[in-house]
Amino acid sequence: MATTSKQYKAIGEDLWKSRTDKINSELFSLTYGALVVQLIQDYEDYAVVNKQLEKMGYNIGTRLIEDFLARSSLGRCSDFREVGEVAAKVGFKSFLNITPTVTHSGVPPPSARPTSTVQQSGVPGSSFILTLDENPLAEFVELPDEALEGGLWFSNVLCGVLRGALEMVQMQVQVEFLSDVLRGDESTEIRVTLLKYLEEEVPVGDD
Amino acid sequence: MSHHLFLLSPSDTPIYNLTHYSTKLPQPTSSSLSSNLPTWSTSAFAGTLTALSGASSATQSHHVQGGAVRMGGGQDRHVIQMIANASLDVIEDVMRKESAMYLKSVDKFNEWTVSAFVTPGNMKFILLHETKNDDGIRSFFHDVWELYLKTMLNPFHTAHSPIRSIVFDTRVRASAKKYL
Repeated sequence: MATTSKQYKAIGEDLWKSRTDKINSELFSLTYGALVVQLIQDYEDYAVVNKQLEKMGYNIGTRLIEDFLARSSLGRCSDFREVGEVAAKVGFKSFLNITPTVTHSGVPPPSARPTSTVQQSGVPGSSFILTLDENPLAEFVELPDEALEGGLWFSNVLCGVLRGALEMVQMQVQVEFLSDVLRGDESTEIRVTLLKYLEEEVPVGDD
Repeated sequence: MSHHLFLLSPSDTPIYNLTHYSTKLPQPTSSSLSSNLPTWSTSAFAGTLTALSGASSATQSHHVQGGAVRMGGGQDRHVIQMIANASLDVIEDVMRKESAMYLKSVDKFNEWTVSAFVTPGNMKFILLHETKNDDGIRSFFHDVWELYLKTMLNPFHTAHSPIRSIVFDTRVRASAKKYL
């Protein structure tokens, strides 16, 4: 079941092509931009706006993962490393038509709990960084100075999507932006850190 | 040779202005990106009348109202703005007849020619220039138009409010250097 990186790319490409309902990217960017600006006007606090964007993304992600798994018919990822690969090459590609580059770093914290009970292998604390070289959400966007000083992460909804989607597949992750070209940094980077696996969660249902 | 560019919204509020000196002149390029262009203050007219009668780029010793940046060239800021303002009537006349966007030179005032460009959204780009340079000016106007479109697409930009973006300013200057 070990799928190589090339195969992931091909799967992602296929998924994107087979998707029949695409929308105009300008419309998408303008809609998202209007959304962010409205949130800023409503909340007036950039930290709160970041949180709201992340919450919205979380809601999207919890639903998106079903669509993704149904279309891609990929099985469980064997380890967290593979999660990163699949998310970047298949996930982002099939929904946004971009392929961020993945940089893995599996450095566990010193007090890592033994992971023998976990089915998947991947130490809590390992992480990967997605580097987006283009961001369709932020076309034409220039942040005003107040937003820069206030610490706005314009595309924070993506963090929420990743967190929501991964939580639905029993992984609790922390997702955050490291840098953003809109803020004048060199590149746009998102770091996804595995906190723990949610194996213990018993699905709510009648026994 | 200097050029003055004004971008005006459909309601004739100033959105952006730029003064560009052609690189051949020894003076450094100075810009007056004023966030609020002063309304045509009446007290300046006393000064402008003298300027009008003299009517050339000789250094004038008028006091310049606070708000407008003093330019290095000595041309009276208010004359420039008055010329631009006066040309608006002519532009509107021409607009009614012609449907093309680039209206070539619509007005002439002593040594200043006024060229105009009207976008489909009724934004007016006005350029005051001394020399004749139709093709360069047309290309410049098209460039400014594209840059303006990109600015409008920025969700943080409110329509018809003054453009303060540094990126826009830099790019307009670069385009001016290229074409003017």
